[in-house]
Amino acid sequence: MRPSCRFLLTIRVALYTILIGLFVGATSRASDAQATSTLPKPWNDATARLADEVAAALSPTSVTLDVENISSLDDAAAATIEAAIRAQLQRHSFSLAPENAAAQSAIRLQLSLSESVAEYVWVIQILNDQSSGTAAPLMIVAAPKADFADAGAEARSLSLEKRFVWKQPGKFLDFALLKDSISGESILLVLETDHFAVYKPSGAGWQLFRTSPLPQATPPSRDAQGTIMLKEGKISLQGFECFGDSDLAGVLRCNASKPIQSVGAVRMKIPGFPTSVGTDVAQKCRGEFVFLFTAEGDWTQPDSISGRLTKGIPLPLVPSGNTLEFDGPVMALHSGPEDSSVRAILHNLKSGEYEAYVVTATCNN
Amino acid sequence: MEIGAAVASLDPDVPAATPEEATAKLQIDSLIFDHRDADGAFAGAAGSGAFRVTSWEAAGRATLAVLAANEEFREGRPFVDSIEITTGRAARERLVDLELNKADLTEIAPQDARRAAEQGVRISASQPDELLALVFVGGNAKADAVTKAASQANEQARRASAEPAMGQALSLAIDRVAIVNFILQKTGEAAGGLLPQWSSGTAFLFPAAAPSAGDLEHAKELWKQIAPSGALVLGYDSADPLEQSVAERIVVNAKEAGMSVRAQPIPGAGAQKSRGAAGQAPRVDMELVRWRMTSPLPGVTLKDFLTRIYSEFLASFGAAAFPEIASPEDIYKQQRVVLSTYRVVPLVWLPQVYGLSARVRDWKAPGPGENWPLADVWLDTETPTLTPTGVQ
Repeated sequence: MRPSCRFLLTIRVALYTILIGLFVGATSRASDAQATSTLPKPWNDATARLADEVAAALSPTSVTLDVENISSLDDAAAATIEAAIRAQLQRHSFSLAPENAAAQSAIRLQLSLSESVAEYVWVIQILNDQSSGTAAPLMIVAAPKADFADAGAEARSLSLEKRFVWKQPGKFLDFALLKDSISGESILLVLETDHFAVYKPSGAGWQLFRTSPLPQATPPSRDAQGTIMLKEGKISLQGFECFGDSDLAGVLRCNASKPIQSVGAVRMKIPGFPTSVGTDVAQKCRGEFVFLFTAEGDWTQPDSISGRLTKGIPLPLVPSGNTLEFDGPVMALHSGPEDSSVRAILHNLKSGEYEAYVVTATCNN
Repeated sequence: MEIGAAVASLDPDVPAATPEEATAKLQIDSLIFDHRDADGAFAGAAGSGAFRVTSWEAAGRATLAVLAANEEFREGRPFVDSIEITTGRAARERLVDLELNKADLTEIAPQDARRAAEQGVRISASQPDELLALVFVGGNAKADAVTKAASQANEQARRASAEPAMGQALSLAIDRVAIVNFILQKTGEAAGGLLPQWSSGTAFLFPAAAPSAGDLEHAKELWKQIAPSGALVLGYDSADPLEQSVAERIVVNAKEAGMSVRAQPIPGAGAQKSRGAAGQAPRVDMELVRWRMTSPLPGVTLKDFLTRIYSEFLASFGAAAFPEIASPEDIYKQQRVVLSTYRVVPLVWLPQVYGLSARVRDWKAPGPGENWPLADVWLDTETPTLTPTGVQ
């Protein structure tokens, strides 16, 4: 099981994606409709037929859609189909209520993704339709299996690369590479748990230029977190914020800060959202938001980073592209402010050292 | 290899006495004939297939056939040089032969699979492709009724008209899950429909859970409404220990729901089933049947099952017109129509189970309509195998 810091980071990413969802909320209906276009045409047609049959059996009303996947479809494919059916139902003016809210008045639809020996079989059951007084009909459609591989191929549009930057025996929380605004030379910033280090180039490596002590939380955390926020010219630690000059290479001034509160946050089910460390990437790919996630192992296992795409929240996150393997757990992922790279901090289980990588997500289109 | 069924003759003109013999004969034929025609008949001369028969010995119920590899086989010579097929061996004898390395491949009854595996036998099982079901025979007995005494005919006709209610009551009362868990030792699946989930994709729409208290109450009410004059008689093949166990279990389940059912062993019931419709056995209201799927395609199998269920009433139920290539929705609806008559009550799905010796390689349990892949099998003679006297 992942230690708590991973869970917190996941929550942070989840909250961030919800914020993105709010920003794109105005266009979410259009995004739902676009979801159907990501399916192979026969699958798209099948979801449309299913929704047509529901519309023929039910007047437009508030419905909930429960999904059960008893087929060999993976979670991502199932989530894409679910999203497409939701979009099709909305096209028929059905109002999709959250699973827990409005459950009393909404009609429950049960979507079962099944398969026969020859094809996928998708079924919608109306579980509590009391309008007619008779047994509600079942809606059953078939979708060819051959298109599944094609759908997977369509999704492979991200290309991930990693570049090694730095390693040290002691734990660190974040790092940053930048150019000195005056001299133009490279600078490496390393945020450790109790101090902030600035390195400058020396031959083929780096030489320590300055260290600044950092205030410590009381009691100290075994699961310390921190982020270098270059654009804002500050460092964020648990309970503190430190400000410096534009490149943070000079003197730091630290103040106590309030921790991020998640009270009142809306919990949103996002299909395909892993319970692991993840972050968004600033640039889009084919108009879709890009996320990078680690695997769901624990801190005793090798790890990996892979990409996922989504047209918006709460549309599903669909796996895309290659997977980068690492010799130990990825402790943190930090997105850059403007480009398509993220910073990964790794605990190499073979060497015991902590390593810094820049991971770049390139859109093949 | 060893087969439980006795095979009296390989002559195509000699009919099989039991379904098991017919199946075994079919499998042997598939090894010695080149291929099948579109109508299912074997084509070419005997010996044009992967193997040819070199000897055939009968000793009482058991027979020994020796098949040699056909060097000229169109699809290439089989890997093994020869096969010895012993038929008519009892289940226990077959397992012992496997453990003593006297056999490399043998059929195992589904209910014995778990125990065999626990004894270290290497097991290979197919997808569940054999339906064990309860079929009412009243419809088939109607023609006989008119020739019998009026009172007997009236009672028989009354029972036939009450079949749907009796079937529904029994369907509600039978604990299919217990049959799978205890009799079959979890080798199989509870059946609510006429097709398995892996084939149709819609079996989950026919629930087969253990009966609830409400189900039992409903069954009691139905039984009171029917009020038959005596116990329902459930026939089963006296030579089939699985059918016997299931029949006895059904009697217990029925009693729990206030119903009166009596299990009746029928000698040679398997032979009657092999000749066509269920229900030729006299003096039974219903009987257990075991139906193998003829194809993995749900439409093909459903059409075959419909023919067995409604051999005398095909026209009224349209089974003859049911297309083999039907949509999942059509197949679901057709099953729903048939099951709503309660003429047939699905109980469990059984896999075909095989025991393998350690040296058998590339064996894949054949699916519905497939043959034993004995031409593809090879023997790893370098794998040490334990015998009572050591390693050979």
